Amino acid sequence: MTERKSPTAVLTEGPRALTDEQVREIEESDLQAVLDVDIDDVIEYVHRDLKSLPDFTTLYRKYLKQRWDVYDLDFTQDKIDWNEKMSADERESFIAISSGFHHGERQVEIELPVFMIGASEEEKLHIAAQIEDEARHTVFFDRFYREVVGMEGDDIMGVLDASFPWVSETFVGPFGLLAYQADELRRNPYDERARVRYGTTYFLWIEGVLALSVMKVTLSYARWRGFLPAYYTGFTATCRDESRHVQGGMKYLQDAVRKDPTMINEIHETLRTILSLAGVASRRIYFEPLGWTEDEVTVLFFQQLRRKLNDVGIDLAPDIEEMLQFVQPQLAGG
Amino acid sequence: MAEPRFFSKEWADAVRDAVVAGPSPQVREGKLQEYWDFFELIKSQYPASWAIGCRDLPPELGESPAYLLVQWGGGTVTGCQIIGPDDPLDATYVLGMDYADWKALHDGYDAQRTVMYRKVLLEEGSLLEFFKTIYFFVESLAVIGAVPAVYPALVPG
Repeated sequence: MTERKSPTAVLTEGPRALTDEQVREIEESDLQAVLDVDIDDVIEYVHRDLKSLPDFTTLYRKYLKQRWDVYDLDFTQDKIDWNEKMSADERESFIAISSGFHHGERQVEIELPVFMIGASEEEKLHIAAQIEDEARHTVFFDRFYREVVGMEGDDIMGVLDASFPWVSETFVGPFGLLAYQADELRRNPYDERARVRYGTTYFLWIEGVLALSVMKVTLSYARWRGFLPAYYTGFTATCRDESRHVQGGMKYLQDAVRKDPTMINEIHETLRTILSLAGVASRRIYFEPLGWTEDEVTVLFFQQLRRKLNDVGIDLAPDIEEMLQFVQPQLAGG
Repeated sequence: MAEPRFFSKEWADAVRDAVVAGPSPQVREGKLQEYWDFFELIKSQYPASWAIGCRDLPPELGESPAYLLVQWGGGTVTGCQIIGPDDPLDATYVLGMDYADWKALHDGYDAQRTVMYRKVLLEEGSLLEFFKTIYFFVESLAVIGAVPAVYPALVPG
């Protein structure tokens, strides 16, 4: 980790042009080498293939090469950084942000299996891989909270219970909606309209907008300060996994709209519900200790959403454009 | 005064009073004013009704499934009653919940997680419309769960 750019530099830099060598570095780095990969390059890499989305078999083959062992991470230095180098304000801001991810990863792991039932055989391979990814991410946060933050619990749920007080009340908006949409699919897994609504919440909003934005905030802080190397390594590898998830999810939505253009209405209706909740915050989170302001995080949200929609070719209705003006950062992801 | 039994008429009356009053000052204190402004805005305009069921009431409390029907209009509760399995059920949103989860909510389990972990499920009604006001529902569910009542112990197995 030699680069020490400001965490928010990417907001003014605009989209990066990745060289073939940088792409190779992102795609082929083993877990240890991920420590040297720039998180902004990985986020750029997420968007690189959105205009010509890879098929599901290609994404599955990438998964086989990119999967990593969460138990290979050594959190010893992270624990030292957390307890001896980070200030109380930095720790409080960090945990307020990462707890949404701690719970979010668990949610996106358990809500995904029902979506697989109605998928094509090739997509099933990709979704099966994604479920394993999400399980690994859940273990990653469980280890981080136990070994670095020092939270205790008899099992995974015990640690989730311990971090829940940091989860915002507005978490139930996108993640409760996803849980109920998963239940809708459980009852009728082949309902294509319900699948598109589910896919909008899961792939476009939670993974494409919330997750990538929040990843960027904590990871750029860790890179900027040179802290938490195992967190940086594991979560950047998680971001690389997310690139496959977002690409697969965007491919699903793009194919669904191409096959039946009226499916855009399902995307719009879902966004109307999500955005009607996204203008409200229940807690004030202080981003400043991590090098961000709330306005900058909001800009990051917009960038993430716009790039997904533009690259995949999804237009928004005028009333949704208006709703976007009131969006506030939701500190969660999966 | 003795506490009413869960899912009795007296309990439904107490639920009505509690839901009209809304979350306590202690609960409100922990969250931003803008969140409560949004809550009050929804409450002032909410035109719908909830039938929140209990699928497996203990036999001494009545037959199952029974529902707590909460009807909203003009910024207040216009009706709050228990609907038995043989009574006609007419609600905008019908939700189902097991007795164990009702009891857990009463014992302090978080209302947000009750929704997120699907311990209460939407069985009828528009999902996307329901979620536009989910914060209002979750806060109200917490209030309902906290209403003092006699909840029989769970029977193992």
